[in-house]
Amino acid sequence: MIQDVEYGVDSRYKNKKERESESIALMQARLEKMKHLPKEQIIKAKLLQLKLKMDNFLKEPENDNDNHFSKFLEIYIDAIYSQRSKFAKDINVTPVFLSQIINNHREPKEEFILKLMIHSEKVFKNVCDFHKKTWYQVYFQEKIAETMSSQDEWRPRIEKQVNLNELVEK
Amino acid sequence: MTIIEVSTGKKLPIQIVPVEMADYKSLVKSRYFFDWETEKNEEVYKLVIESDNSILGIISLERIPGEWRVHIRLLTVSKENKGSGKKYEKIIGNLIAHAAKIAVAEYGELACISLRPKTEIAQHYIDKYKMNITGITLSLIVPEILDLINQFDNNL
Repeated sequence: MIQDVEYGVDSRYKNKKERESESIALMQARLEKMKHLPKEQIIKAKLLQLKLKMDNFLKEPENDNDNHFSKFLEIYIDAIYSQRSKFAKDINVTPVFLSQIINNHREPKEEFILKLMIHSEKVFKNVCDFHKKTWYQVYFQEKIAETMSSQDEWRPRIEKQVNLNELVEK
Repeated sequence: MTIIEVSTGKKLPIQIVPVEMADYKSLVKSRYFFDWETEKNEEVYKLVIESDNSILGIISLERIPGEWRVHIRLLTVSKENKGSGKKYEKIIGNLIAHAAKIAVAEYGELACISLRPKTEIAQHYIDKYKMNITGITLSLIVPEILDLINQFDNNL
């Protein structure tokens, strides 16, 4: 009998009044419950949010000039640490080096991404599966998007340096 | 994300993707229980098996940013997946988990999904998906919303 009930739900609000009164009651109940929400659960939610955002970026890459890698890195660190310098210490880099990466004044070197990969494995272990290639994928996806969206800038200069002396027949 | 073929117990990978305008022709009330044409301007997703185009379930959502909430407007399985003779299991759960993923991706620790089933079936949703009840609205927030995502999203 219980299986029969699970075929569908029509939850649409009939009118504005109904919607508003339910919204208020729901918000009150949620706020009350959230008062008692442990810090670990808040961190888990932030990390899952980050993981979903990274997945969405990889599924539907945006051809823009935004710095997604550094933006995601910033969210990651701020979700876990009270101070970014503590994260820098944990992965054995200087706070200045970390700050330069976050602020896009320096490219992350391979060793930095490797450290980030291992750090993330440990952090996400009790939250959800976080694939070890995710940071790499985001980094390279961003590079591809950047390159494709800035063709007007680099193409004229590079094209001058490229010749085709051996014609390829159709 | 997977569903289970009841006859074999096999897990089949699924996708939940936006409904396209061309899909509405096939979303008839006799197979999908509601008039889905009325949802054309809403955010509507379909659940399909990766190797097949047949629509097994549909969900219509409303994002309410001011309340950090995603409201499930309309939700259904296809006729052959209703009741004890259903072909596949976990369709509704996957669709609700999809709404939960959108809510968490958008609103993080403040995320909430809501729906309003009829009184006689509300208890089923409370028991099965650990939903909270407020008036006639059922909702999921952190931490239960995270558990639901982890339960249904095998890719996580």
